[in-house]
Amino acid sequence: MGKDERHYNINKLNVVFAVVSVVLLLTLMSVFMNDYDRDWKDYQRQFRTIEIEKARVKLDKENIELSQQAEYEELEGKIAAAKQAYKDKCLAQTELQEQIEEANAKLTLVEQDYKFRKAEFDAAKYRFEHGEAYHEHDVDQYREAFQSLDQQVTKLALDVEEAKTALKSKQRMMDNCGAQLAQLERDERQMTARQSILVRQLDSIDPNAMNLTNQVANMVRDLPILELANPRNKVEQIVLKDVTEDVNFMNVPRVDRCTTCHLGITNPDYVNEAQPFTTHPNLELYVGKNSPHPLEEFGCTVCHAGRPRGTSFNGAVHVPSSPQQKKEWEEKYGYHQMELWEEPMLPLPYTEAGCYKCHSGEFPVKGAEKLSTGLAMIETAGCYACHEIERYKDWPKPGPNLTKLAGKIDKEWGWRWLNDPHSFRHNTMMPSYFNQSNNSDVVSKKRSDQEIHAILHYLFENAQPYPSDRLPIKGDPARGEELVASVGCYACHQIQPEKGDEMVTVDGLRRRFGPNLIDIGTKTSARWLYNWLKDPNSYHPDTAMPNLRLTDQEAADIASFLIQDKNNAFSQHPVPAVNVNVLNDIVLGFLKRADTDQGARNTLAGMKLEQKLEFAGEKLIAQYGCFSCHNIKGFDNAKPIGVALSEESSKSLHKFDFGFLHIEHSKHAWYAQKLKDPRSFDKGKIKAPDEKLRMPNFNLKNDEIEAIVTALLGFVDESQVQAKIKPRTPENLAKEQGEELVAQFNCRGCHMVEGQGGSIHDSVEKWLVDFEEKTDNEAAKVRDSFSPPNLHGVGRKLNPEWLFNFLHEPKQKVRPWLRVRMPTFNFNVVHLNTLVKYFQAVDGDNFPLKINVETGLTDKEYEAAAKLFSEDYFGCTQCHVVGSKLPTGSQDSWAPNLALAKTRLQPEWLIEWIKNPSKLMPGTKMPTFFDPENYDTSGPDDLLDGNENEQIRVLRNFLLTLSEEQQRDVAAPVPETP
Amino acid sequence: MIEAIKAFINKFTNPQILFPLLAVVYVFVFPINKFFLRINERLGIYKLWTNAGGALMIGTLFSFFCFGMTDANFRKIVTKPDNVPIVGLLFLVVFFLWFAMKQAYENDARIAAGKRPNEAEDAKEKILVWPDLVYIELIALILCSVLLLVWAMSLHAPIEEPANPSVSPNPSKAPWYFLGLQEMLVYFDPWLAGVVFPTVILLGLMSIPFIDNNTKGSGYYTFKDRQMAVSMFMFLWLVLWIFLISVGTFLRGPNWNFFGPFEYWDSHKLAALTNINLSEYVYMIWMKRELPTNILLREMWGFLVLGIYFGLMPLLFAKTFLKNVFKNLGPLRYSVFVILLLLTLSLPIKMLLRWAFNVKYIIAIPEFFFNI
Repeated sequence: MGKDERHYNINKLNVVFAVVSVVLLLTLMSVFMNDYDRDWKDYQRQFRTIEIEKARVKLDKENIELSQQAEYEELEGKIAAAKQAYKDKCLAQTELQEQIEEANAKLTLVEQDYKFRKAEFDAAKYRFEHGEAYHEHDVDQYREAFQSLDQQVTKLALDVEEAKTALKSKQRMMDNCGAQLAQLERDERQMTARQSILVRQLDSIDPNAMNLTNQVANMVRDLPILELANPRNKVEQIVLKDVTEDVNFMNVPRVDRCTTCHLGITNPDYVNEAQPFTTHPNLELYVGKNSPHPLEEFGCTVCHAGRPRGTSFNGAVHVPSSPQQKKEWEEKYGYHQMELWEEPMLPLPYTEAGCYKCHSGEFPVKGAEKLSTGLAMIETAGCYACHEIERYKDWPKPGPNLTKLAGKIDKEWGWRWLNDPHSFRHNTMMPSYFNQSNNSDVVSKKRSDQEIHAILHYLFENAQPYPSDRLPIKGDPARGEELVASVGCYACHQIQPEKGDEMVTVDGLRRRFGPNLIDIGTKTSARWLYNWLKDPNSYHPDTAMPNLRLTDQEAADIASFLIQDKNNAFSQHPVPAVNVNVLNDIVLGFLKRADTDQGARNTLAGMKLEQKLEFAGEKLIAQYGCFSCHNIKGFDNAKPIGVALSEESSKSLHKFDFGFLHIEHSKHAWYAQKLKDPRSFDKGKIKAPDEKLRMPNFNLKNDEIEAIVTALLGFVDESQVQAKIKPRTPENLAKEQGEELVAQFNCRGCHMVEGQGGSIHDSVEKWLVDFEEKTDNEAAKVRDSFSPPNLHGVGRKLNPEWLFNFLHEPKQKVRPWLRVRMPTFNFNVVHLNTLVKYFQAVDGDNFPLKINVETGLTDKEYEAAAKLFSEDYFGCTQCHVVGSKLPTGSQDSWAPNLALAKTRLQPEWLIEWIKNPSKLMPGTKMPTFFDPENYDTSGPDDLLDGNENEQIRVLRNFLLTLSEEQQRDVAAPVPETP
Repeated sequence: MIEAIKAFINKFTNPQILFPLLAVVYVFVFPINKFFLRINERLGIYKLWTNAGGALMIGTLFSFFCFGMTDANFRKIVTKPDNVPIVGLLFLVVFFLWFAMKQAYENDARIAAGKRPNEAEDAKEKILVWPDLVYIELIALILCSVLLLVWAMSLHAPIEEPANPSVSPNPSKAPWYFLGLQEMLVYFDPWLAGVVFPTVILLGLMSIPFIDNNTKGSGYYTFKDRQMAVSMFMFLWLVLWIFLISVGTFLRGPNWNFFGPFEYWDSHKLAALTNINLSEYVYMIWMKRELPTNILLREMWGFLVLGIYFGLMPLLFAKTFLKNVFKNLGPLRYSVFVILLLLTLSLPIKMLLRWAFNVKYIIAIPEFFFNI
């Protein structure tokens, strides 16, 4: 075949082929380089350099430390000497050395021989057994082989033993010679344990420290392409078997790969390193081995969210916490949002949202300050009233009852209030419905004016009369002021005329539990106030306001004090007259919903002004959902009007309507915008008045918004993390239910419960300064004595039955010197039982199982106990109130009434309490009579043979005999009742 | 200025305008008979198939994309890893169309001059399988591998959010090769667009060798020898397939709404749906009376229209502009051919009826899920 028959020039084709082959080769190389050059591998390389550096520094430090120890130096010297001695004395015995070597060689040989023969023996044994079982004809031959091998093996075994003994005896001679050196070396190892760990670590990672073979091997295993076999740079992952992801019709374990780059996350040595190597900021609580959330069990994304399997910056769906950070990331990491991942990482300011999915039963969520603040905001603002939230399923309505409204306010005040509640009370939780971004134009404004008239008309027309008593006596405002400061009003209320700029906290919100008591004189009358204070439930049966059991005079005093404060600017705000035309439009709009245009017009024509107002009012209350927060006649069974929020943040982003607003498209940005200006998503939209967004404006500050957004981001579907949620044991349930009640009734406003609360302490201190003539320092020192008690440990301390009765009707004066009062709450039986169980559960007290304790005393014992009780010994009555007998010591150190011990305290607890009070209640004023350090010699020696346990027991039993009556006989002066 | 151009293009690319326009232009670019051919020649449209014409077409397309890439919305759609191949497809289709038509016109000129087509000259030449064929195949294979590897490295696989049966992505798009069918769903019921039409397309393709008895044009590119066959096929291929795929890829956004190439894909965009059935036209608008309750009575006008379309039109065509075809094919083959043709045309006709008259269905019997 000639060349001329070819269509193409073969030489040219060869060139083309060569070129494209090279191109393919280059492409393939770039494929491998592409894989070799992944970001996470780079991070692992960087991390290794840091790791080596750290290990070296540590080793140096360790070495220096060792060299500075005289002991170590001495040891080294001894070892050197011992080595020399060993060399001179032991190694010099060449004959012995040779013998050992010889014995060793012999043993090896014999052992091998034995092993081989044994293997043959086993095989022969099987062959013989098999032959015998199946009656094979050459079974005799097998028997012979077996027997001969049997003998050989037995003999060889003896030989091995002999060789071993020979070697051992020689070896022992040698060992004895070097015994001292071996001991010294053991000591050294103990001393340098830490150092040798570091040396070993460096051996495995530091190329300079390792031997050549390892160096080469490490280099080769990390080469591109070859690294597929067993590289040092590996994707690290945590597989969580009990936290699953729903991939449709099946659940797969969650796999977190975050630690591929975040390599120092559990190691406290990396605190000062930059991301991604830095240590977790709170190892005690998270990620650390001994923390409640160890890395191996919880991974990272369970809390932080993000894409668990992502191994690149964008692939893990990091989310910047601010526009600046976004910009920074764009430059540094080529950041872009991965829109399609539905659980982007929680941005840093909202990280605590991740706690909620497992801790949704806690009030507050311990350790998550911002989340708890957000939840407390939701409780205070009453978001749950319009928006169903699982956690607040059966909570009472957050706003006051309006069914007896006419007895409290007048219509004009009501109009001004509805028009702009924040102009009356800057921090009220009553939100603004009017004058908002979607109803502030002139037309809407006119309409709003009339809407308010209609709503008020309905409320006043349907209000029941509130039979209120006249003030029996004229109140004294000065005394009223003191009472407000002392009886405990400031646990829940504040009097704060101006906006403060303090950051919102859970504790601050406890003090905002009830309304800010400013300008009450403008709002209501002294008469209403008096009746309200005397019996809040008569006005509002479900109110959280407790009854403080005020006397008529006290109530009148407080009323006359509060009523003084007036807001004239507010009462001068003009109230527009009822405008029939605008009202007609409103009424017509509602009528047309259920009727034809003509029909509606006819109906309207037949309505009187009153009827129109009432009709429109009812419809408007339904539209704005006033009934969600307030009891209003005619709306008893109405359903809340807001979107359910229980799993709001599991909703995909595209279900959030951003309207025409140009804000970041993320859930947190949407929530923040909604809370800042709830109606702003109406911007640019054309809507009829009743189609407009209705969520009212709470005038929230930025920190409040951030806290609420944190909580909202936490409202997600919990089903994937079921395994991680605290088990629903009766104890845990009792705790959760109790905590809920504690939050609902703001117990922590006065008391410390589980280490949190006692918000009233500051105001008690202020009262001591303002009204009890104490200096600032004194007041700060004794304020705890005049504040409501810390409820630490009451589950074990108090008799459940007594606690139940006391919570129901706190009549008994345990601490008669306190001016602040335990109020009477409107608890029902369920509440009472829940609270008692809660306190028991918190202290791990297994209520209702109780052991009866023998509390009898012999005469001799009684005598000894009375002595202990007396001034001569412990002097209990110096501090403790006993019935009506007041202590002899200073009022600052008074302690609870011992006459109540019998019914109030648990006998087992009393024993422990007398033994070591500080252990049960750290910081208590109760002195420790029995020094726990020298317990056996601590008690008085002259009583009961100096037996401390006996002394405590009889004293306890003695205390349980005390009662009001018995003391009354003895008691001398009747104290002035404070 | 640029914004105005973009706004114009956004309006212009609306299928309601673009599709009829394409159909009209198409008739002159691929003239189906002598009459249109004369216009084509007078206007010089055939010059598209010269080198200059090819450069013009590719150049225009290229400059359009260059211009478009300056726009964020356009860029977002076009550079989406799913859509990049379709951009390539547009260029390739134009190129190969030009390449084939250029050779066809050259051959036509040769035949007119009494010479044999180019391919006849080629046929005299022998080529060896090895090395001439196999070698260049190997080179092509290597180049394709390189292309695929580079592509895979530079554009990541278009993986979307984790699948969730309760949330369908918006827009939900078929694979690109089915986008033409999905576009048909806008105009026809699923049983037609999804079942009947694809079947007819397959059967129609199978029947081509039996219907087409024109012996000319075997083994060489030609236009004038097979004028009708080429122009009909090009209509199906370019207008009813490639064009609809492009529309489905680039111009259909959330809720299957139409979006211009420079428009933001706003999932809240609303399009008015105001279509009504033929029966409603007849009874309610023209006759001003209620719809009859009897289904047959109500829909008889639709059946009548279809009867005329599939019953009378073939006869009419046979007497008029398909006279020659009827003569060549004979009654049986002619019937198959003309029914296929009418079915094909029903898609553009239905589109036009929808756009021009808001016609929803010709026959609408939702009681039996039977809508045409």
